[in-house]
Amino acid sequence: MADASIPTPTQEESKVSPAELKKRAKAEKQARRAAQKEQQGVVVNGDNLAAQATEAAPSTPSQLPKVDRPPKAQQQQQKQPKPSSSSQPQAMPVRQRPSQSGAPKPILKKDAPKEDHKQVELFSHLYTQSRHHTFDGVSKDVHPAVLALGFQISSYEICGSSARCVAMLLAFKEAIQAYTTPTGTSLARHLTQHYLSPQIDFLKTCRPISESMGNAIRWLKKLIVEIDPNTPEQEAKDDLCELIDAFIRERIIVTDQAIAASASRQIRDGSVVLTFAKSSIVEKTILQAHANGVSFRVVVVDSRPLFEAKSLATSLMHAGLEVEYLPFSAISHAVKQATLVLLGAHSMLGNGRLMSRIGTAGIAMQAAKADIPVIVCCESVKFSGKVALDSIVLNEVAPAEELLLRQVAKQSDIPEEDGSKGKPSDDAKSEATKVKTMADWKDITNLQVLNLMYDVTPAEYIRMVICEYGSLPPSSVPVVHRLANEGM
Amino acid sequence: MPAAIVGETPSLSTFLKSLKSTDVESSIDLFISLLKRRQIKNSRPCALATAQLLLRVVAATRIRDVQQLIDRISEVGRRLVAAQPREMAVGNIVRRILGVVREVAEEDERDGSLGSGRVSGAASPDPSEARRPFLTKTFSGMSPLGQSVTVPHDFHPRVKTPMIEYTSPPGFDASAEREVKRPVLPSSASYAGLPPVSSLLSLLEDPLARSPIPTPPPGSSPRIQPMGKITESKEKIDVKAEVIDGIKELLDELEVVDNQIAENALDHIHSNEIILTHTSSQTVQKFLMTAARKRKFTVVHAEAYPNNHDETHATIVNGGKKGTGDEEEVDERWKPLTSMGITVILIPDTAVFALMSRINKVILAPHSVLANGSLLAAAGASTIALAAKSHRVPVVVLSGVYKLSPIYPFDTHELIEYGDPGKVVSYEEGEFMDKVDVINPLYDWVDADCVDLYITNLGGCAPSFLYRIVADHYRTEDIDLGGKGSS
Repeated sequence: MADASIPTPTQEESKVSPAELKKRAKAEKQARRAAQKEQQGVVVNGDNLAAQATEAAPSTPSQLPKVDRPPKAQQQQQKQPKPSSSSQPQAMPVRQRPSQSGAPKPILKKDAPKEDHKQVELFSHLYTQSRHHTFDGVSKDVHPAVLALGFQISSYEICGSSARCVAMLLAFKEAIQAYTTPTGTSLARHLTQHYLSPQIDFLKTCRPISESMGNAIRWLKKLIVEIDPNTPEQEAKDDLCELIDAFIRERIIVTDQAIAASASRQIRDGSVVLTFAKSSIVEKTILQAHANGVSFRVVVVDSRPLFEAKSLATSLMHAGLEVEYLPFSAISHAVKQATLVLLGAHSMLGNGRLMSRIGTAGIAMQAAKADIPVIVCCESVKFSGKVALDSIVLNEVAPAEELLLRQVAKQSDIPEEDGSKGKPSDDAKSEATKVKTMADWKDITNLQVLNLMYDVTPAEYIRMVICEYGSLPPSSVPVVHRLANEGM
Repeated sequence: MPAAIVGETPSLSTFLKSLKSTDVESSIDLFISLLKRRQIKNSRPCALATAQLLLRVVAATRIRDVQQLIDRISEVGRRLVAAQPREMAVGNIVRRILGVVREVAEEDERDGSLGSGRVSGAASPDPSEARRPFLTKTFSGMSPLGQSVTVPHDFHPRVKTPMIEYTSPPGFDASAEREVKRPVLPSSASYAGLPPVSSLLSLLEDPLARSPIPTPPPGSSPRIQPMGKITESKEKIDVKAEVIDGIKELLDELEVVDNQIAENALDHIHSNEIILTHTSSQTVQKFLMTAARKRKFTVVHAEAYPNNHDETHATIVNGGKKGTGDEEEVDERWKPLTSMGITVILIPDTAVFALMSRINKVILAPHSVLANGSLLAAAGASTIALAAKSHRVPVVVLSGVYKLSPIYPFDTHELIEYGDPGKVVSYEEGEFMDKVDVINPLYDWVDADCVDLYITNLGGCAPSFLYRIVADHYRTEDIDLGGKGSS
């Protein structure tokens, strides 16, 4: 999963006219971003960006200083140049960007302060980090493998708590191998502070790191500190890599197998298993039960904007299972037939609550109300010492554009219609008469779009948590967390 | 005024236009096929089309006796309901129009039987005795309804309840007594608001005596006056004209229903509230707009993917009036809430539970409301209502009386309609569509205990009270349209 090719912005150069267009749009956006950063007084890499923007779009210099939309639009440019690529069929629909389709609008409409209005106030604490999608401003210390991983994570190509954790550890392995201790210091002292930290920081800018990644990083740091300073460097690095491999094997791969074996025993003949989004353990569990010869049905519930469950449904379909696929709005119908709900986890919180893909709480609630057992499959590496009462404080806000994209892509007839009316760009003048679409949401004051990643399921909806230590009630999560993540 | 596309795709507006030119029978067939093809869907368009069509039917029917008219309407109604049984608004409107006819017929009979000797408003025992032979049939048929109406009132009818079941005269005693107890009645009756169409109370009362009762719908006043005139002049009522008046009044009610509901907005929305709503309901938008004129609050709008999200987005961006089919009101400007200074936060349906802990109130629009206080609404509503319940957030349902159906949800499953799975997964993904069951239910059933308040055009009421409003609006003999019907 970690070996997908590094998407580079340089690919754009190979294309002729559409690429040129996109480059211009991108340059414009970078300029916008730079302008915003300058306004905010954050001069992290603003000059850098602006400089790059000017050289990228020399033909449209007049557009540069003009900021026509709030600069929050930090999308994934590196994916943009190849929308027809079939290598990431899953990520593509979400990643398309509506505003790049036309030429940049040279209308000064919104200033940077407007930006704040597009952030939902309740979640303002979660907007602090904007996602990184380009090479710009990346510390030179960041290892290419980590760089690639970062982009894959931010584009959801690597998605899911354990997948991200494994991919991170593998990338760190490469990074560690490429590391040489500077003279005058020791590996144990220097590696974490000066080499690993920038890597981790970079990953954090791509997407907030998951609990499993946090646990793994903590474990790795502890490991590095404990290295005997007298060990030769290469040997220490080999040891580290071996231990990382062992960690992945023990804490994730074998654990997954153990959990799948244990959880699949909950699936009996005639069961109807309900699951939501995509969890690799749930998938393994279902496939395991299927391999065991149990005859059962699977109901898969999917949600916008990631449509993760579709790939789950596809893989179960290919395995020959009887699969039913429903949109999230249909969960009351899904629950009606189900006999068992299997859920994956982003993290199990210390107070027994489950943090998982947004929507999980709704499913668990419906199932609990219908007295259907809700079982969470979760490796202990995802157990967390954090506690949360609701989904507000601990969460992740994804770019709101992701919510619009698919729908805009689907209604591709709308821009055409606009075109036939002969006024694609000057909607500022005829604002009152023009029929706006959701794609214009940034221009509409008071309209906000919220795209949360996770929600917190109350512990009372969860009947059982299956981890490699066995099956527990949610109240035992902190005990296992201490045992597994802190006691070692 | 309608947009250009109207000419091509059949919709409510094309149907209403064609109604004027085509003959009744083909209009009925056209409506049936539009219903079957879902080209007229959702409660309001269905209700409007049904009322307009029945107006035509009544106008075109030559009636010698009222029963004939009732038979004709129920026959057409049966066909319409059979075409699309899950659009309950169709059946509701048919029932209410039947109620109008029956009411007119009874007044007619009463007038006929009372003759010119009747002056005072109170029904005296003697005339009631005199018309008993006429009324026995309908009256005994209505006794269960009569009980359900009288019981909540006070102890007076309760004493007489056993007698009501045996013979009709005690019922008239009760009515006579209630006439005496006037001060009590308006308060309880105004709760139901005495809508234009018949209620049992109005049946038992004299039309003259009924007029002082407050009738909130503006459309209802014109009707009562001519009726009073007619009664006073002791002429035989022109049944057809009366029925047409009644249907027109019903149409008026359909038109003003949103405004009437919206009048309650300020009683329920206070400043700085965070309100969650779902789907692109016109009623809800109007309600929120009314509140927005006076107060600032925040609206969290769940988008109802995959069946209604486009409309929801359009509603958020362009305002309440949706362009789906019913363009005849397009000239009326519906400002989006955002332009009134209301912060609107669009969320996917999945985020409902996550946000519910911060929501102050949930406002839902039903597809139809059932007699026990439960409701059918767009898919996803059940999750919202349950999440609200588990967070102790009040759920307010805005529903015109025309959505109130006398049906009891014995089997909630059969009330649910399933939509196009292509909206969930594109048909282009052939293998997936082939091997995976893709299901797209359109409605959710929400239990009555998840709802805290209904706001109808008659005012607010608890879900447990809805059966009363049902009793006020529909005749028992009309409830089962599909079966033996009226006679």
